[in-house]
Amino acid sequence: MSRAELLSPEGLRIDGRRPAELRKITSTTCVLSQADGSAYLEHGNTKVLAAVYGPREARHRALVLHDRAILNVELNVAPFSTGERRRRSKNDKRLLEMASFVKQTFEPVVIATLYPRSQIDIYLQVIQHDGGTLQACINATTMALIDAGIAMTDYVCACTAGWVEREAAIDLNYIEESSDTSEVTIAMLPKSSKITLTQMESRLHVDKLEEVFRLAGEGCKQMYEVMDKTIRDRAEDLARKMAV
Amino acid sequence: MATPAFTFTPSTFQKLHPAEFFRRFTTEGVRPDGRLLDAFRPTTVHHGVISTANSSAMVRIGGTTVVCGVKAEVAEPKLDAPDQGYLVPNVELSPMCSSKFRPGPPSEQAQAVSEAINRVLKESKVLDLKDLCIEEGKAVWVLYVDAVCVAYDGNIFDAALAAIMAALKNVRIRKPTYQEGTIKVSGGSTATDENSFTLNLARAPLSATFAIFDTTLTILADPNVTEESISDGQISITLDETGLLCGVTKIGAASCSQSVMRDCVQSAKKRTLQLRAIMSQQ
Repeated sequence: MSRAELLSPEGLRIDGRRPAELRKITSTTCVLSQADGSAYLEHGNTKVLAAVYGPREARHRALVLHDRAILNVELNVAPFSTGERRRRSKNDKRLLEMASFVKQTFEPVVIATLYPRSQIDIYLQVIQHDGGTLQACINATTMALIDAGIAMTDYVCACTAGWVEREAAIDLNYIEESSDTSEVTIAMLPKSSKITLTQMESRLHVDKLEEVFRLAGEGCKQMYEVMDKTIRDRAEDLARKMAV
Repeated sequence: MATPAFTFTPSTFQKLHPAEFFRRFTTEGVRPDGRLLDAFRPTTVHHGVISTANSSAMVRIGGTTVVCGVKAEVAEPKLDAPDQGYLVPNVELSPMCSSKFRPGPPSEQAQAVSEAINRVLKESKVLDLKDLCIEEGKAVWVLYVDAVCVAYDGNIFDAALAAIMAALKNVRIRKPTYQEGTIKVSGGSTATDENSFTLNLARAPLSATFAIFDTTLTILADPNVTEESISDGQISITLDETGLLCGVTKIGAASCSQSVMRDCVQSAKKRTLQLRAIMSQQ
Protein backbone atom coordinates (compact mmCIF):
# COMPACT_ATOMS: atom_id res chain seq x y z
CA MET A 1 0.00 0.00 0.00
CA SER A 2 1.66 3.21 -1.13
CA ARG A 3 1.67 6.05 1.31
CA ALA A 4 0.25 9.25 -0.07
CA GLU A 5 2.69 12.10 -0.25
CA LEU A 6 2.00 14.33 2.71
CA LEU A 7 4.07 17.23 1.46
CA SER A 8 4.33 17.88 -2.26
CA PRO A 9 7.62 19.05 -3.83
CA GLU A 10 6.15 22.58 -4.00
CA GLY A 11 5.56 22.53 -0.25
CA LEU A 12 1.78 22.00 -0.34
CA ARG A 13 0.08 19.59 2.02
CA ILE A 14 -2.34 16.86 1.14
CA ASP A 15 -5.33 19.24 1.26
CA GLY A 16 -3.57 22.05 -0.59
CA ARG A 17 -2.58 24.13 2.41
CA ARG A 18 0.79 25.60 3.19
CA PRO A 19 2.48 24.21 6.30
CA ALA A 20 1.76 27.25 8.48
CA GLU A 21 -1.83 27.64 7.32
CA LEU A 22 -4.86 26.86 9.45
CA ARG A 23 -7.96 25.20 8.05
CA LYS A 24 -11.09 27.20 7.43
CA ILE A 25 -12.61 28.06 10.82
CA THR A 26 -16.32 28.65 11.32
CA SER A 27 -17.53 29.59 14.77
CA THR A 28 -20.87 30.62 16.24
CA THR A 29 -21.99 31.09 19.81
CA CYS A 30 -25.40 30.72 21.41
CA VAL A 31 -26.53 27.90 19.17
CA LEU A 32 -28.41 25.78 21.73
CA SER A 33 -31.66 26.83 23.33
CA GLN A 34 -31.31 25.01 26.66
CA ALA A 35 -27.69 25.48 27.66
CA ASP A 36 -26.48 28.55 29.54
CA GLY A 37 -23.72 28.96 27.01
CA SER A 38 -22.98 27.14 23.79
CA ALA A 39 -20.66 27.30 20.83
CA TYR A 40 -20.23 25.51 17.52
CA LEU A 41 -16.79 25.34 15.99
CA GLU A 42 -15.51 23.95 12.70
CA HIS A 43 -11.83 23.41 11.91
CA GLY A 44 -12.16 22.41 8.30
CA ASN A 45 -14.11 19.15 8.53
CA THR A 46 -13.81 18.70 12.29
CA LYS A 47 -17.07 19.86 13.84
CA VAL A 48 -17.54 20.23 17.58
CA LEU A 49 -20.47 21.47 19.64
CA ALA A 50 -19.91 22.69 23.21
CA ALA A 51 -22.60 23.33 25.82
CA VAL A 52 -22.02 24.88 29.24
CA TYR A 53 -24.47 24.57 32.11
CA GLY A 54 -23.67 26.50 35.21
CA PRO A 55 -22.81 27.60 37.67
CA ARG A 56 -25.51 25.38 39.07
CA GLU A 57 -26.13 23.16 42.05
CA ALA A 58 -23.63 20.32 42.24
CA ARG A 59 -24.90 16.84 41.54
CA HIS A 60 -22.88 15.09 44.24
CA ARG A 61 -22.80 16.88 47.55
CA ALA A 62 -19.65 15.05 48.54
CA LEU A 63 -17.61 16.66 45.76
CA VAL A 64 -18.65 20.22 46.51
CA LEU A 65 -15.90 22.67 47.47
CA HIS A 66 -16.81 25.37 49.97
CA ASP A 67 -14.81 28.14 48.34
CA ARG A 68 -14.88 27.45 44.60
CA ALA A 69 -16.81 25.84 41.80
CA ILE A 70 -15.98 22.40 40.45
CA LEU A 71 -15.61 21.80 36.74
CA ASN A 72 -17.05 18.74 35.09
CA VAL A 73 -16.29 17.93 31.48
CA GLU A 74 -17.96 15.22 29.40
CA LEU A 75 -16.88 14.38 25.93
CA ASN A 76 -19.18 12.51 23.58
CA VAL A 77 -18.15 11.38 20.13
CA ALA A 78 -21.11 10.74 17.84
CA PRO A 79 -21.11 7.29 16.21
CA PHE A 80 -21.34 8.80 12.73
CA SER A 81 -18.46 11.19 13.24
CA THR A 82 -15.58 9.04 12.09
CA GLY A 83 -14.85 7.15 8.90
CA GLU A 84 -16.07 3.85 10.28
CA ARG A 85 -18.90 3.82 12.73
CA ARG A 86 -17.54 3.26 16.17
CA ARG A 87 -19.86 3.15 19.08
CA ARG A 88 -17.62 4.49 21.84
CA SER A 89 -18.89 3.72 25.28
CA LYS A 90 -19.10 6.57 27.77
CA ASN A 91 -16.27 5.06 29.81
CA ASP A 92 -13.87 4.74 26.92
CA LYS A 93 -10.46 5.57 28.34
CA ARG A 94 -9.42 7.73 25.43
CA LEU A 95 -12.48 9.92 25.76
CA LEU A 96 -12.12 10.16 29.52
CA GLU A 97 -8.49 11.15 29.10
CA MET A 98 -9.35 13.87 26.61
CA ALA A 99 -12.12 15.15 28.85
CA SER A 100 -9.72 15.33 31.76
CA PHE A 101 -7.26 17.28 29.57
CA VAL A 102 -9.94 19.83 28.83
CA LYS A 103 -10.85 20.03 32.50
CA GLN A 104 -7.26 20.53 33.61
CA THR A 105 -6.74 23.14 30.90
CA PHE A 106 -9.61 25.27 32.17
CA GLU A 107 -9.25 24.79 35.90
CA PRO A 108 -6.56 27.46 36.31
CA VAL A 109 -8.25 29.82 33.86
CA VAL A 110 -11.84 29.88 35.11
CA ILE A 111 -12.15 32.15 38.16
CA ALA A 112 -13.89 29.45 40.16
CA THR A 113 -13.65 31.29 43.47
CA LEU A 114 -16.48 33.53 42.28
CA TYR A 115 -18.92 30.62 42.34
CA PRO A 116 -18.44 28.66 45.58
CA ARG A 117 -20.34 25.44 46.26
CA SER A 118 -21.47 25.12 42.67
CA GLN A 119 -20.68 23.08 39.59
CA ILE A 120 -19.94 24.11 36.05
CA ASP A 121 -20.77 21.38 33.52
CA ILE A 122 -19.15 21.39 30.11
CA TYR A 123 -20.55 18.98 27.53
CA LEU A 124 -18.70 18.45 24.28
CA GLN A 125 -20.17 16.67 21.28
CA VAL A 126 -17.89 15.77 18.38
CA ILE A 127 -20.14 15.69 15.33
CA GLN A 128 -17.51 15.11 12.69
CA HIS A 129 -13.93 14.04 13.19
CA ASP A 130 -11.15 14.99 10.79
CA GLY A 131 -8.14 15.49 13.04
CA GLY A 132 -7.53 18.04 15.77
CA THR A 133 -10.35 16.98 18.06
CA LEU A 134 -8.67 18.13 21.26
CA GLN A 135 -7.84 21.56 19.87
CA ALA A 136 -11.39 22.01 18.57
CA CYS A 137 -12.83 20.91 21.93
CA ILE A 138 -10.71 23.40 23.85
CA ASN A 139 -11.52 26.27 21.49
CA ALA A 140 -15.22 25.49 21.52
CA THR A 141 -15.18 25.29 25.32
CA THR A 142 -13.58 28.72 25.58
CA MET A 143 -16.30 30.26 23.46
CA ALA A 144 -19.08 28.44 25.24
CA LEU A 145 -17.78 29.53 28.65
CA ILE A 146 -17.65 33.13 27.46
CA ASP A 147 -21.15 32.78 26.05
CA ALA A 148 -22.33 31.51 29.44
CA GLY A 149 -20.84 34.56 31.12
CA ILE A 150 -18.45 32.59 33.31
CA ALA A 151 -15.48 34.65 34.46
CA MET A 152 -12.10 33.63 33.03
CA THR A 153 -8.69 35.24 33.23
CA ASP A 154 -8.09 34.94 29.49
CA TYR A 155 -9.14 33.06 26.36
CA VAL A 156 -7.68 29.58 25.93
CA CYS A 157 -6.67 28.98 22.34
CA ALA A 158 -5.42 25.60 21.20
CA CYS A 159 -3.62 24.44 18.11
CA THR A 160 -2.03 21.24 16.92
CA ALA A 161 1.37 21.24 15.28
CA GLY A 162 3.65 18.57 14.00
CA TRP A 163 6.50 17.62 11.74
CA VAL A 164 5.15 16.65 8.33
CA GLU A 165 7.94 15.03 6.28
CA ARG A 166 10.44 17.85 6.22
CA GLU A 167 8.64 20.86 7.61
CA ALA A 168 6.79 21.91 10.72
CA ALA A 169 3.06 22.30 10.07
CA ILE A 170 0.03 23.35 12.10
CA ASP A 171 -3.59 22.15 12.29
CA LEU A 172 -3.08 18.58 11.13
CA ASN A 173 -5.99 16.78 9.56
CA TYR A 174 -6.93 13.13 10.06
CA ILE A 175 -4.74 11.74 7.31
CA GLU A 176 -1.68 13.61 8.58
CA GLU A 177 -2.41 12.60 12.18
CA SER A 178 -2.81 8.92 11.46
CA SER A 179 0.36 8.59 9.42
CA ASP A 180 3.85 8.70 10.84
CA THR A 181 3.93 12.39 11.71
CA SER A 182 4.54 13.52 15.26
CA GLU A 183 1.82 15.70 16.61
CA VAL A 184 1.64 18.04 19.59
CA THR A 185 -1.39 19.91 20.89
CA ILE A 186 -0.78 23.19 22.67
CA ALA A 187 -3.25 25.36 24.54
CA MET A 188 -2.17 28.91 25.21
CA LEU A 189 -3.40 32.06 26.94
CA PRO A 190 -2.90 34.63 24.18
CA LYS A 191 -2.42 37.75 26.30
CA SER A 192 0.41 36.38 28.39
CA SER A 193 1.55 33.72 25.90
CA LYS A 194 1.48 31.21 28.75
CA ILE A 195 0.89 27.58 27.87
CA THR A 196 -1.74 25.71 29.90
CA LEU A 197 -1.64 22.38 28.08
CA THR A 198 0.92 20.46 26.08
CA GLN A 199 0.13 17.01 24.85
CA MET A 200 2.26 14.84 22.62
CA GLU A 201 2.36 11.09 22.21
CA SER A 202 4.63 10.53 19.27
CA ARG A 203 8.37 10.90 18.86
CA LEU A 204 9.89 14.20 17.92
CA HIS A 205 13.54 15.12 17.67
CA VAL A 206 14.61 17.62 20.29
CA ASP A 207 16.08 19.95 17.66
CA LYS A 208 12.74 20.22 15.91
CA LEU A 209 10.81 20.86 19.11
CA GLU A 210 11.40 24.59 19.26
CA GLU A 211 10.28 25.18 15.70
CA VAL A 212 7.12 23.14 16.21
CA PHE A 213 6.30 24.96 19.44
CA ARG A 214 6.87 28.35 17.90
CA LEU A 215 4.61 27.54 14.98
CA ALA A 216 1.94 26.21 17.32
CA GLY A 217 2.12 29.44 19.32
CA GLU A 218 1.51 31.42 16.15
CA GLY A 219 -1.37 29.15 15.27
CA CYS A 220 -2.90 29.82 18.69
CA LYS A 221 -2.61 33.57 18.13
CA GLN A 222 -4.41 33.20 14.81
CA MET A 223 -7.14 31.17 16.54
CA TYR A 224 -7.46 33.95 19.11
CA GLU A 225 -8.11 36.53 16.38
CA VAL A 226 -10.90 34.43 14.91
CA MET A 227 -12.53 33.57 18.24
CA ASP A 228 -12.31 37.11 19.55
CA LYS A 229 -13.94 38.48 16.42
CA THR A 230 -16.85 36.06 16.74
CA ILE A 231 -17.39 36.94 20.39
CA ARG A 232 -17.18 40.68 19.80
CA ASP A 233 -19.55 40.58 16.84
CA ARG A 234 -22.08 38.69 18.90
CA ALA A 235 -21.69 41.08 21.85
CA GLU A 236 -22.20 44.08 19.56
CA ASP A 237 -25.23 42.42 18.08
CA LEU A 238 -26.73 41.83 21.54
CA ALA A 239 -25.90 45.34 22.70
CA ARG A 240 -27.62 46.79 19.67
CA LYS A 241 -30.73 44.70 20.26
CA MET A 242 -30.87 45.61 23.93
CA ALA A 243 -30.48 49.29 23.27
CA VAL A 244 -33.62 49.40 21.15
CA MET B 1 -60.37 43.53 59.08
CA ALA B 2 -59.84 42.45 55.50
CA THR B 3 -57.56 39.48 54.96
CA PRO B 4 -54.42 40.53 53.09
CA ALA B 5 -54.40 39.53 49.45
CA PHE B 6 -51.41 37.67 48.08
CA THR B 7 -49.98 39.01 44.87
CA PHE B 8 -47.22 37.38 42.89
CA THR B 9 -45.06 38.36 39.99
CA PRO B 10 -45.86 36.18 36.98
CA SER B 11 -42.59 34.22 37.27
CA THR B 12 -43.22 33.41 40.94
CA PHE B 13 -46.76 32.38 40.15
CA GLN B 14 -45.48 30.12 37.41
CA LYS B 15 -43.18 28.36 39.83
CA LEU B 16 -45.78 27.95 42.57
CA HIS B 17 -48.79 26.94 40.49
CA PRO B 18 -47.58 25.92 37.03
CA ALA B 19 -50.88 24.35 35.97
CA GLU B 20 -52.98 27.30 37.12
CA PHE B 21 -50.59 29.75 35.47
CA PHE B 22 -50.95 27.82 32.25
CA ARG B 23 -54.74 27.71 32.50
CA ARG B 24 -54.87 31.52 32.58
CA PHE B 25 -53.44 31.47 29.08
CA THR B 26 -55.31 28.55 27.57
CA THR B 27 -58.70 29.97 28.57
CA GLU B 28 -57.85 32.91 26.29
CA GLY B 29 -56.82 30.52 23.53
CA VAL B 30 -53.06 31.15 23.64
CA ARG B 31 -50.00 29.72 25.33
CA PRO B 32 -47.27 31.47 27.36
CA ASP B 33 -44.89 31.48 24.38
CA GLY B 34 -47.50 33.33 22.29
CA ARG B 35 -48.58 30.43 20.10
CA LEU B 36 -52.19 29.47 19.41
CA LEU B 37 -53.26 26.14 20.85
CA ASP B 38 -52.97 24.32 17.52
CA ALA B 39 -49.83 26.01 16.21
CA PHE B 40 -46.59 24.15 15.61
CA ARG B 41 -43.27 25.85 16.19
CA PRO B 42 -41.12 27.03 13.25
CA THR B 43 -39.29 24.06 11.77
CA THR B 44 -36.12 23.95 9.70
CA VAL B 45 -34.46 20.98 8.01
CA HIS B 46 -30.88 20.86 6.74
CA HIS B 47 -29.56 17.96 4.66
CA GLY B 48 -26.05 16.65 4.36
CA VAL B 49 -24.53 18.32 7.42
CA ILE B 50 -22.02 15.55 8.10
CA SER B 51 -19.73 14.44 5.31
CA THR B 52 -18.32 11.38 7.12
CA ALA B 53 -21.77 9.79 7.29
CA ASN B 54 -23.53 8.06 4.37
CA SER B 55 -26.35 10.53 4.89
CA SER B 56 -27.25 13.11 7.48
CA ALA B 57 -29.79 15.72 8.43
CA MET B 58 -30.42 18.28 11.13
CA VAL B 59 -33.94 19.22 12.20
CA ARG B 60 -34.96 22.12 14.44
CA ILE B 61 -38.49 22.31 15.81
CA GLY B 62 -38.54 25.46 17.90
CA GLY B 63 -35.75 24.98 20.42
CA THR B 64 -35.44 21.22 19.97
CA THR B 65 -32.52 20.34 17.70
CA VAL B 66 -31.70 16.82 16.51
CA VAL B 67 -28.74 15.81 14.34
CA CYS B 68 -29.05 12.46 12.59
CA GLY B 69 -26.33 10.49 10.81
CA VAL B 70 -26.68 7.25 8.86
CA LYS B 71 -23.75 4.89 8.50
CA ALA B 72 -23.82 1.72 6.47
CA GLU B 73 -21.77 -1.29 7.47
CA VAL B 74 -21.45 -4.81 6.23
CA ALA B 75 -22.66 -7.53 8.57
CA GLU B 76 -24.07 -11.06 8.58
CA PRO B 77 -27.81 -11.18 8.04
CA LYS B 78 -30.23 -12.26 10.73
CA LEU B 79 -30.99 -15.98 10.67
CA ASP B 80 -34.68 -15.58 9.91
CA ALA B 81 -34.13 -13.12 7.04
CA PRO B 82 -31.01 -14.13 5.11
CA ASP B 83 -31.74 -11.92 2.10
CA GLN B 84 -32.52 -8.74 4.00
CA GLY B 85 -30.45 -6.07 5.62
CA TYR B 86 -31.69 -4.20 8.68
CA LEU B 87 -31.95 -0.79 10.32
CA VAL B 88 -30.70 0.04 13.78
CA PRO B 89 -32.18 3.36 14.92
CA ASN B 90 -31.05 5.00 18.13
CA VAL B 91 -32.00 8.26 19.78
CA GLU B 92 -29.51 9.81 22.20
CA LEU B 93 -30.63 12.19 24.90
CA SER B 94 -27.45 13.31 26.60
CA PRO B 95 -27.07 15.76 29.51
CA MET B 96 -25.92 18.28 26.91
CA CYS B 97 -29.39 18.80 25.52
CA SER B 98 -31.09 19.65 28.79
CA SER B 99 -30.50 19.77 32.51
CA LYS B 100 -33.26 17.18 32.87
CA PHE B 101 -30.99 14.38 31.73
CA ARG B 102 -28.30 12.86 33.87
CA PRO B 103 -25.09 11.31 32.62
CA GLY B 104 -25.05 7.55 32.44
CA PRO B 105 -26.82 4.79 30.49
CA PRO B 106 -29.71 5.80 28.20
CA SER B 107 -32.67 7.05 30.20
CA GLU B 108 -36.12 5.49 30.04
CA GLN B 109 -37.31 8.30 27.79
CA ALA B 110 -34.45 7.81 25.32
CA GLN B 111 -35.08 4.09 25.15
CA ALA B 112 -38.82 4.59 24.74
CA VAL B 113 -38.38 7.08 21.89
CA SER B 114 -35.80 4.82 20.20
CA GLU B 115 -38.16 1.87 20.41
CA ALA B 116 -41.13 3.91 19.14
CA ILE B 117 -39.14 5.04 16.11
CA ASN B 118 -37.86 1.52 15.53
CA ARG B 119 -41.45 0.32 15.45
CA VAL B 120 -42.53 2.99 12.99
CA LEU B 121 -39.62 2.18 10.66
CA LYS B 122 -40.19 -1.56 10.82
CA GLU B 123 -43.98 -1.73 10.63
CA SER B 124 -44.29 0.93 7.95
CA LYS B 125 -41.69 -0.89 5.85
CA VAL B 126 -39.89 2.33 5.15
CA LEU B 127 -37.19 0.64 3.12
CA ASP B 128 -37.29 -2.50 1.06
CA LEU B 129 -34.76 -4.41 3.13
CA LYS B 130 -33.96 -6.67 0.19
CA ASP B 131 -32.21 -3.66 -1.38
CA LEU B 132 -29.67 -3.96 1.39
CA CYS B 133 -28.67 -7.50 0.53
CA ILE B 134 -25.15 -8.07 -0.79
CA GLU B 135 -24.92 -11.83 -0.83
CA GLU B 136 -27.78 -13.89 0.50
CA GLY B 137 -26.99 -15.61 3.74
CA LYS B 138 -23.49 -14.19 3.88
CA ALA B 139 -23.43 -10.39 3.90
CA VAL B 140 -25.93 -7.58 4.07
CA TRP B 141 -25.85 -3.85 4.74
CA VAL B 142 -26.75 -2.67 8.21
CA LEU B 143 -27.84 0.95 8.47
CA TYR B 144 -27.01 2.47 11.81
CA VAL B 145 -29.26 5.49 12.18
CA ASP B 146 -28.09 7.63 15.10
CA ALA B 147 -30.15 10.66 16.09
CA VAL B 148 -28.35 12.84 18.61
CA CYS B 149 -30.42 15.46 20.39
CA VAL B 150 -28.29 18.54 21.05
CA ALA B 151 -31.00 20.78 22.47
CA TYR B 152 -34.20 19.52 24.08
CA ASP B 153 -37.27 21.76 24.23
CA GLY B 154 -40.02 19.17 24.08
CA ASN B 155 -41.45 16.98 21.34
CA ILE B 156 -38.39 14.82 20.75
CA PHE B 157 -40.42 12.20 18.89
CA ASP B 158 -41.44 14.49 16.02
CA ALA B 159 -37.98 16.01 15.73
CA ALA B 160 -36.16 12.67 15.84
CA LEU B 161 -38.47 11.02 13.32
CA ALA B 162 -38.24 14.00 10.96
CA ALA B 163 -34.44 13.99 11.22
CA ILE B 164 -34.28 10.24 10.60
CA MET B 165 -36.59 10.39 7.59
CA ALA B 166 -34.71 13.36 6.14
CA ALA B 167 -31.45 11.45 6.52
CA LEU B 168 -32.87 8.23 5.05
CA LYS B 169 -34.18 10.06 2.01
CA ASN B 170 -30.86 10.07 0.21
CA VAL B 171 -28.55 7.44 1.62
CA ARG B 172 -25.68 6.79 -0.74
CA ILE B 173 -23.93 3.46 -0.28
CA ARG B 174 -20.81 2.37 -2.07
CA LYS B 175 -21.16 -0.72 -4.21
CA PRO B 176 -19.17 -3.52 -2.68
CA THR B 177 -16.83 -5.64 -4.78
CA TYR B 178 -16.42 -9.38 -4.31
CA GLN B 179 -12.95 -10.83 -4.08
CA GLU B 180 -12.41 -14.50 -3.30
CA GLY B 181 -15.22 -14.79 -0.84
CA THR B 182 -14.58 -11.48 0.92
CA ILE B 183 -16.47 -8.26 0.47
CA LYS B 184 -14.44 -5.16 -0.20
CA VAL B 185 -15.85 -1.68 0.12
CA SER B 186 -13.78 1.12 -1.32
CA GLY B 187 -13.51 4.20 0.82
CA GLY B 188 -11.23 6.43 -1.14
CA SER B 189 -12.63 8.50 -3.97
CA THR B 190 -15.81 10.50 -3.89
CA ALA B 191 -19.06 8.61 -4.39
CA THR B 192 -20.27 8.74 -7.98
CA ASP B 193 -23.14 7.05 -9.72
CA GLU B 194 -20.83 4.25 -10.84
CA ASN B 195 -19.36 3.19 -7.54
CA SER B 196 -22.38 3.83 -5.33
CA PHE B 197 -26.15 3.55 -5.32
CA THR B 198 -28.90 5.56 -3.63
CA LEU B 199 -31.53 3.87 -1.53
CA ASN B 200 -35.16 4.48 -2.36
CA LEU B 201 -37.59 5.07 0.43
CA ALA B 202 -40.77 3.06 0.05
CA ARG B 203 -42.67 5.19 2.53
CA ALA B 204 -41.85 8.34 4.48
CA PRO B 205 -43.87 8.51 7.69
CA LEU B 206 -43.84 11.76 9.65
CA SER B 207 -45.52 12.52 12.94
CA ALA B 208 -47.35 15.20 14.87
CA THR B 209 -47.51 15.16 18.66
CA PHE B 210 -50.08 16.80 20.90
CA ALA B 211 -50.20 17.24 24.68
CA ILE B 212 -53.41 16.86 26.64
CA PHE B 213 -54.00 19.36 29.40
CA ASP B 214 -56.70 17.63 31.33
CA THR B 215 -58.70 20.02 33.45
CA THR B 216 -60.20 21.77 30.47
CA LEU B 217 -59.33 18.96 28.05
CA THR B 218 -57.23 21.33 26.01
CA ILE B 219 -55.15 19.87 23.22
CA LEU B 220 -51.83 21.59 22.64
CA ALA B 221 -49.95 20.97 19.44
CA ASP B 222 -46.15 20.51 19.60
CA PRO B 223 -45.61 20.88 23.37
CA ASN B 224 -42.40 22.50 24.55
CA VAL B 225 -40.57 21.26 27.62
CA THR B 226 -42.61 23.28 30.16
CA GLU B 227 -45.87 22.19 28.58
CA GLU B 228 -44.73 18.55 28.60
CA SER B 229 -43.99 18.66 32.29
CA ILE B 230 -47.47 19.86 33.23
CA SER B 231 -49.42 17.87 30.65
CA ASP B 232 -51.49 14.86 31.62
CA GLY B 233 -51.12 12.89 28.46
CA GLN B 234 -49.78 12.86 24.93
CA ILE B 235 -51.13 11.87 21.53
CA SER B 236 -48.81 11.10 18.62
CA ILE B 237 -50.15 10.57 15.11
CA THR B 238 -47.89 9.24 12.36
CA LEU B 239 -48.90 9.52 8.70
CA ASP B 240 -47.14 8.60 5.48
CA GLU B 241 -46.96 10.64 2.28
CA THR B 242 -50.23 9.23 0.91
CA GLY B 243 -52.15 10.25 4.02
CA LEU B 244 -52.39 6.75 5.43
CA LEU B 245 -52.06 6.34 9.16
CA CYS B 246 -48.86 4.58 10.19
CA GLY B 247 -49.22 4.86 13.92
CA VAL B 248 -51.34 6.29 16.67
CA THR B 249 -50.13 6.52 20.26
CA LYS B 250 -51.96 7.92 23.20
CA ILE B 251 -50.37 7.79 26.61
CA GLY B 252 -51.14 9.36 29.96
CA ALA B 253 -53.88 9.59 32.51
CA ALA B 254 -56.22 11.87 30.61
CA SER B 255 -58.97 10.23 28.62
CA CYS B 256 -60.12 11.87 25.44
CA SER B 257 -63.18 11.47 23.27
CA GLN B 258 -63.30 10.22 19.70
CA SER B 259 -63.91 13.72 18.35
CA VAL B 260 -60.69 14.87 19.96
CA MET B 261 -58.85 12.02 18.25
CA ARG B 262 -60.39 12.94 14.92
CA ASP B 263 -59.37 16.58 15.34
CA CYS B 264 -55.83 15.48 16.13
CA VAL B 265 -55.67 13.33 13.00
CA GLN B 266 -56.87 16.24 10.85
CA SER B 267 -54.35 18.58 12.44
CA ALA B 268 -51.64 15.94 11.96
CA LYS B 269 -52.51 15.65 8.25
CA LYS B 270 -51.98 19.38 7.79
CA ARG B 271 -48.80 19.38 9.81
CA THR B 272 -47.19 16.48 7.96
CA LEU B 273 -47.95 18.13 4.61
CA GLN B 274 -46.26 21.26 5.88
CA LEU B 275 -43.28 19.23 7.09
CA ARG B 276 -42.87 17.48 3.75
CA ALA B 277 -42.88 20.83 1.98
CA ILE B 278 -40.14 22.07 4.29
CA MET B 279 -38.11 18.90 3.82
CA SER B 280 -38.25 19.00 0.04
CA GLN B 281 -37.30 22.67 -0.08
CA GLN B 282 -33.85 22.32 1.39
